[in-house]
Amino acid sequence: MFANRNALTPSLIVLVGFLTVCPVLMLVLGSFSEGLEAFGDFTLAKYIQAYSDPSFAGIVLNTVIFTVGSAILCTVMALFLAYLNTRTNIPFKFMFRIISIVPMMIPHILFCVSWVLLLNPSNGLLNLLLREAFSLKASPFNIYTMQGMILVEALLDLPIAYLILAPAMSAFDVSLEESSKVCGASNLRTLLRVTLPVLRPAILAAFILVIVRSLASFAVPSVIGMPGRIYVLASHIYRIIATGFATDYGQAAAVGMSALSASIVLIYLYRYLTSESEKYVTVTSRGYRPTVIDLKGAKAPLFGVVGFLSFLLIVLPVLVLCYVSLLPYSMVPSAKAFALISLKNWVQVVKDPVSLLSLKNSVFLGIVGATLGVSLSIFVSYVIVKVRSGAAGVLESLSFLSFSFPGIVIGVGFMWFFVRTPLYATIWALLIGYIATYLPYGIRPLTSAFIQIHGHLEESSRVCGGGTFYTMRRIVIPLLVPGIVSGWILMATMFVRELTLSVVLSRPGTEVLAVQILRFAEDGLWGKLSALGILMILISTILVVAASVIGGRLTKVERLQAG
Amino acid sequence: MEIRIAQVTKNYFSGGKTIQALSEVDLRISANQIFTLLGPSGCGKTTLLRCIVGLESPDAGEIAIGDEVVFSRAKGIFIPPDKRGLGMVFQTYAIWPHMNVFDNVAYPLQTRRESKEAICKKVARTLKFVQLDGFENRPATKLSGGQQQRVALARALVAEPKVILFDEPLSNLDAKLREETRKELRTFLGELKITAVYVTHDRIEALSLSDEIAVMKDGRIVEIGPPKKIYFDPASRFVADFIGQANLIGGHVSAHDGASTFVVSDIGTVACAARAELPVGSPAMLCIRPEFIRVPAADGGTSLNRFRGRVETLLFVGEAYEGEIRVGKTRLIAKIDPASEIREGDEITIGLDPNRCFLLAK
Repeated sequence: MFANRNALTPSLIVLVGFLTVCPVLMLVLGSFSEGLEAFGDFTLAKYIQAYSDPSFAGIVLNTVIFTVGSAILCTVMALFLAYLNTRTNIPFKFMFRIISIVPMMIPHILFCVSWVLLLNPSNGLLNLLLREAFSLKASPFNIYTMQGMILVEALLDLPIAYLILAPAMSAFDVSLEESSKVCGASNLRTLLRVTLPVLRPAILAAFILVIVRSLASFAVPSVIGMPGRIYVLASHIYRIIATGFATDYGQAAAVGMSALSASIVLIYLYRYLTSESEKYVTVTSRGYRPTVIDLKGAKAPLFGVVGFLSFLLIVLPVLVLCYVSLLPYSMVPSAKAFALISLKNWVQVVKDPVSLLSLKNSVFLGIVGATLGVSLSIFVSYVIVKVRSGAAGVLESLSFLSFSFPGIVIGVGFMWFFVRTPLYATIWALLIGYIATYLPYGIRPLTSAFIQIHGHLEESSRVCGGGTFYTMRRIVIPLLVPGIVSGWILMATMFVRELTLSVVLSRPGTEVLAVQILRFAEDGLWGKLSALGILMILISTILVVAASVIGGRLTKVERLQAG
Repeated sequence: MEIRIAQVTKNYFSGGKTIQALSEVDLRISANQIFTLLGPSGCGKTTLLRCIVGLESPDAGEIAIGDEVVFSRAKGIFIPPDKRGLGMVFQTYAIWPHMNVFDNVAYPLQTRRESKEAICKKVARTLKFVQLDGFENRPATKLSGGQQQRVALARALVAEPKVILFDEPLSNLDAKLREETRKELRTFLGELKITAVYVTHDRIEALSLSDEIAVMKDGRIVEIGPPKKIYFDPASRFVADFIGQANLIGGHVSAHDGASTFVVSDIGTVACAARAELPVGSPAMLCIRPEFIRVPAADGGTSLNRFRGRVETLLFVGEAYEGEIRVGKTRLIAKIDPASEIREGDEITIGLDPNRCFLLAK
């Protein structure tokens, strides 16, 4: 397909290798250095300083409780949803599709903020409501706790865990269950003794992926954890580089090393498990329709639970943000509240130069970053799927590496690199960092698109008289368009809402939306925050719609041309 | 158009090992013939086809289609597939899923920048030929397997290619459809007067479709001949075994007379179709197809080629009994009339027609 195959693979390895290995390498070197100015002089001081900190053991313990806790809660919820959708006759199954896709459009930081607005102990809406209704002295809920962090993180990661578990469950070989039932076991016993054990690789994969994601999560630790003085590794690193008088990138790198190594180990374990479970799936997916279990009386209450979950995940955050953006301060919905409704916050945000700049920067990063990222992904996926040489395997492993990157840690690594280049404090630093960290999200949909383009489809065009470029234009590109569109959408929405990498790399002049929202949250400017947050959701939605429309057009152009 | 293949060699490298896919293949495919490459999987037949069409380039040798050399290692000629003007039907049909039937079939004409009217006329004619008229605007993916196969055929034929190539085109169809499509294909190709190269591992397809068959093994052509010659009188044990069930019995030549060659074998002396070139005393391999063992032997005549045996097993397979008959220490497979009264354990006499007993040259 591409004219010069020989040069393609090595140059991609160099490019992707730079993007993924460079920040890791710089992180390692940085952790052994005295500081950003004294790079390269070997010292162990930063490790000693970081790991002898008396509060460090507590932070590690917090991190373990936070990640494992949210992974357990999230996996259980995802299993519950996946089982209900694939194996029972629960009504309105389209709800599950919505649950699995739509929350990805709501930026994590806004999701956290909306929970803070609902459940914070001083003026959380739900707390205020309950205090008024039952004349309580104290607030019944406090989001600023470990339980609060675990709950919100679990809800945030629910879609990704569901997307791993649901396909595994629907590809399940039902005859295994049927033989258990023939042996006299009940539905519940079959579920516990046969179904769940057989699905163990998929369940473990989901569990591990949620641990990696919550280890990398910065929104929950910063918005919910830090006000409650509960620190985990991510917020600890943030505290070292962004608050206080002396920022210490050496110590941040030393702490980051443990988060990164844990993450890399876990992600390769995840990869091993998914390849195991996929092996299993391909062996047995012979088009059996799983038998559907009749829920009988439990149908309505179980559906109630699913409905409530989707309300929590999708409707509530947007509703709370809309409401708060229109009020001068937090108050329970009442006649008085509705009388105070105004667009004051919106006007302030639109007039705020920093907010406008962050808006402009994020849109730029979303559009340009996603376009560059997808272009790179096209070439990388092509090599991974169609070239399949040993070097292509290296490329695949390299590009998969960034899947494990905790944004804030990799941001510190990039920081060590960028200060040494003219890119420092420019928008291009953010752009490079984004593409490096989110490359797998572009590669994923494109590799599956390439897998679908059977070699014969290209070859038959060649035999029919189509030259290399003619074949590209009429066969390969049109068939790739759906993959390109979904890769672009994934990358663009992630870039518009990017927080964890940006808190490190963003400097005055290169503010982005999520960082600006974090500043508002730190200052308690909830009204302005909500207005800006809704703008952010709007931009993501516009990008998604625009990409889908353009994708549809591109496919249509091919049809018109041919007909 | 005639295809000439000379000394074509192709190696693959996989996991540090060299696999020889084609080794010094020489072949001449006459014009307007249906020529089949038959062989087990991995014998190199598809590689040879892909070399002809230009999707692979051989490591050595020369390929010419008509008067044009399309590949020559020595002369440094490689004409890319899009310039060879051939038609090909792929095993997966390779119907483009983003186009409808019309666009799929019109594609080869569009690459040649023909006028809109000419394209419409030719597509309509070709679709009519493969009996798909009225399907123009169907999305290609909404067709049945047999219909997709015909779209692929129409696409290969529409530009009136010099040669049409088939890569196991029926192997993705279910058994019944395969039989129907095979007959259709035979009719289509019979009407066309076109050179067709057909790759298959299915001996029935090869026997029923071809004017000539080349049997391949391990990257080499083992034998070339018309279907009847290949079936009844194969030259080698491999071909005899591959092309159908065969009783292969070892022995040595004992005598010749005008009509027959006599072989002393494990079941006794057998009179065979004459092979005068084999000297008396030389080892020989008898090949007898199960359908030519008469059970029981016809009444009367001489005692020539009559043997006593015992029916060991008898399997009813519908159109016949498949029987195993032990003669001495040798088990012979025979096709027996399903209406016959024979039972397992019976002692019977079998008869062999000397003209249907062939000697392999080994």
